[in-house]
Amino acid sequence: MKGALLRLLLLVVVLAAIGRAQVWRVDAGTSVTLAAGALLLCGLFAGKVAKGIGLPRLTGYLLVGVAVGPYALGFIPGAGVKGLELVKGLAVSLIALVAGTELQLGLIRRVGTKVAALCAAVCGVTFLAIFGALFALKPLLPFLAPMSVPQALAVSALVASVVVSFSPTVTIAIVQETSARGSFTEFLMALVIIGDLLVMVGFAVAAGLTRASFGGGLDLWGLLREVGWELFGSVVVGGVLAVAMLVYMRQVKRELPLFLVGLCFASAEGGARLHLSPLLVSLAAGALIANLDEREGERIHHAIQRAGLPIFALFFAASGAGLKLNALMTVGPAALLLVALRAVAIYGSCRRFAPVEDVRLRRYLWMGLISQAGVTFGLAALISRTFPDFGPQVEVLIVAMITAHELIGPVLTRRALQRSGEIHSEDAPGAA
Amino acid sequence: MQVLLVLLAIAALSLLASSRTVLDPGRFPALAQLAASGLLFLAFGAVMGPDALRLLSWKDLAALRPLLALGLGMAGVMIGLNLEPRLLRLLPREVYAAALAHAGTAFLWVALPLAGPLLFTMGLPPGAAVAAAALLGASASLSSGHFAVLGYRSGRMERRRGLSVALLTMLDDAVGLGVLVLALAFGAAANPLEGLGLVALALLLGMACGALLAFLMHGIKDQGELMAVLLGGVALVSGAAAYLRVSALLAGVACGATLALVGSRAVEQAARMLGRFERPSYLLLVFLVGAHVHARDVMAWALLPAYLGLRFLGKVLGGALAQRIAGNTLALPPRLGYALISQGGLALCLVVEYLTLVPGPLSQRVFDVVVAGAFVNEVLGSRAFRHVLESTSEQAPTGTPQAPGGPS
Repeated sequence: MKGALLRLLLLVVVLAAIGRAQVWRVDAGTSVTLAAGALLLCGLFAGKVAKGIGLPRLTGYLLVGVAVGPYALGFIPGAGVKGLELVKGLAVSLIALVAGTELQLGLIRRVGTKVAALCAAVCGVTFLAIFGALFALKPLLPFLAPMSVPQALAVSALVASVVVSFSPTVTIAIVQETSARGSFTEFLMALVIIGDLLVMVGFAVAAGLTRASFGGGLDLWGLLREVGWELFGSVVVGGVLAVAMLVYMRQVKRELPLFLVGLCFASAEGGARLHLSPLLVSLAAGALIANLDEREGERIHHAIQRAGLPIFALFFAASGAGLKLNALMTVGPAALLLVALRAVAIYGSCRRFAPVEDVRLRRYLWMGLISQAGVTFGLAALISRTFPDFGPQVEVLIVAMITAHELIGPVLTRRALQRSGEIHSEDAPGAA
Repeated sequence: MQVLLVLLAIAALSLLASSRTVLDPGRFPALAQLAASGLLFLAFGAVMGPDALRLLSWKDLAALRPLLALGLGMAGVMIGLNLEPRLLRLLPREVYAAALAHAGTAFLWVALPLAGPLLFTMGLPPGAAVAAAALLGASASLSSGHFAVLGYRSGRMERRRGLSVALLTMLDDAVGLGVLVLALAFGAAANPLEGLGLVALALLLGMACGALLAFLMHGIKDQGELMAVLLGGVALVSGAAAYLRVSALLAGVACGATLALVGSRAVEQAARMLGRFERPSYLLLVFLVGAHVHARDVMAWALLPAYLGLRFLGKVLGGALAQRIAGNTLALPPRLGYALISQGGLALCLVVEYLTLVPGPLSQRVFDVVVAGAFVNEVLGSRAFRHVLESTSEQAPTGTPQAPGGPS
């Protein structure tokens, strides 16, 4: 651990020196490659340090990203971090692909109904709690204060639908890191994935209502088409990807990690531009492969594990570097209140509605549902773009919440897995 | 989206170019040769670039700058890692003299006559024109040893002869990099002293990153972690150079050389691991180089025959001179100059680095001439090398004694 810490400090010193040397140049060149290299190396060694002090590696990646990023020490320019968006999409796709390979038909048959019921309960209770709190805070929140009651109700519903979301990315990364296996882990993973599907539907409905309340008119057919395209279109495209992967794996059989990285990159970028959910596309592809050919599903799992470490370290360190600490300062109190309320709602609904036959679900499941990351970021940015009048302020509030959730979420998720007794290894090869 | 499509097209082309059918010289000789050298990607880039089909705009190319820097950094690190101080110390003086003679002759034959047209047609200060002419000369001095390597691997050329030619072409790289240093010193800043300072900054940065990389790698046993550290190290050195607007290529070379010097046993493993990424990153780099070509510069087309002709003469004369100097030390084939016609990827790296750091019409013209020249030389190189093989089979090997530490 000492060695990793020393290496991390040395890296930070070198980064500081590069930042200092840049002052002598009148105009800087591109900073994206520098950001990629620095965040990858810093993330890697910060992960080792975090592991040494009993935290998830992922927390190390995030914290070091925050530290050297543009909002704290400023050693990595903001433009460089912004240029890494492509990497983020790629990592989400890869993680979702691995998650998909875990979704065996047998598992869905076994726990599908229970997971869906609990998910609806948890999401419903959390949504109502956040929705109520936001509406109650209307006079205090600058973006809600000037709105009429119907408008405030619609915007509260829109924000609440985003705040409900979980983080499959973090959950799957922690599961990979700890090599957790068992019924609790399966339940948790299925719940965060289905939760995000519910959030996507809820968000589309809330966005339609908000548009209507601001005079855009309620276009039910358009709303259905939007939701349908995002959900079913993603599954269909995922199916096509699965076929392409299977053909490649059976015919070409070479350089599988490289091929998967390329395909996930294409699905992330292409999916985002076609208004599909990159997460769902890869998830569907992974699930289809695992159910059509179990052996190939295993191969994908191992291939991504081999190529995953640099991508995960870079993804989470870049996510950390992108966390706007100043947002936490400006809307901190409101954000922290909502964070606490969300945690209480998740805790309460898990204690009340989780299946009784496994006591671990009632006790520890809530801890695995606290994280928020990629999907929440994406929806917050979408609000900002779609509703330019109040969207940017909503984005600041949600990003402040994500910052808090990113810092405590991974620790809680690992604790949940630890307490469930399903962690098998603390140092899986190539794990996040 | 366009960038994404292009990257996907490159990926598809990579698969195609690594296909055994395409690489079979018996079926499509010219295509196989261009695919093997990677210059197929150069043509592909030029066709898709903003000056031809416009599938890529200049804005797209600016957005792809980080990849260009990464490719240059990777090329530099690989060159640096191949510098083995022990082997270089063992080489006899005649080998260096021969390398300098053939590279220097080609350099002078191209740089001196072409300095005039550059000076008078562009209306730029003499210093800039001299730097540009020097860079043309430097790229002309570079040769690729891949035909020689292919020759002895396929048994068409005696192994010692093939290695001797390959060794001479490897030593050319030092000449090319030396001239790049001078060209950047003259062109990359307001005055040569400041330019030299920037070159020194690039080298210092590379050395610091090389030492850091050696330290970071120390004690890492997991292959995945080692790979992550290496990739991060290459990205760090090329990214820092691109950010500070100094040469990513020179910083990469300094990084690789420092790593080779202080990295002890881990160096071999590092070179092997990075080697897996060498070809994909090289192909991407070559594609991006092609996309930067200005195909409509009439003056560049006018300069091209002169450049090709002068380089050919320079190589033939330089080859003869090198043979005279090192004929007793190395097993050099007759008509050595013909074996040196093909141009290496480093020539492309030099001119794209110059274009990035000293942007302007002059560097663009130098770039266009060298890129088109590299393509033509690659096609001519195969035929020229056949002449060498024919003359080698006619004339029995001289059977010269092998120098201590020689190429075999």
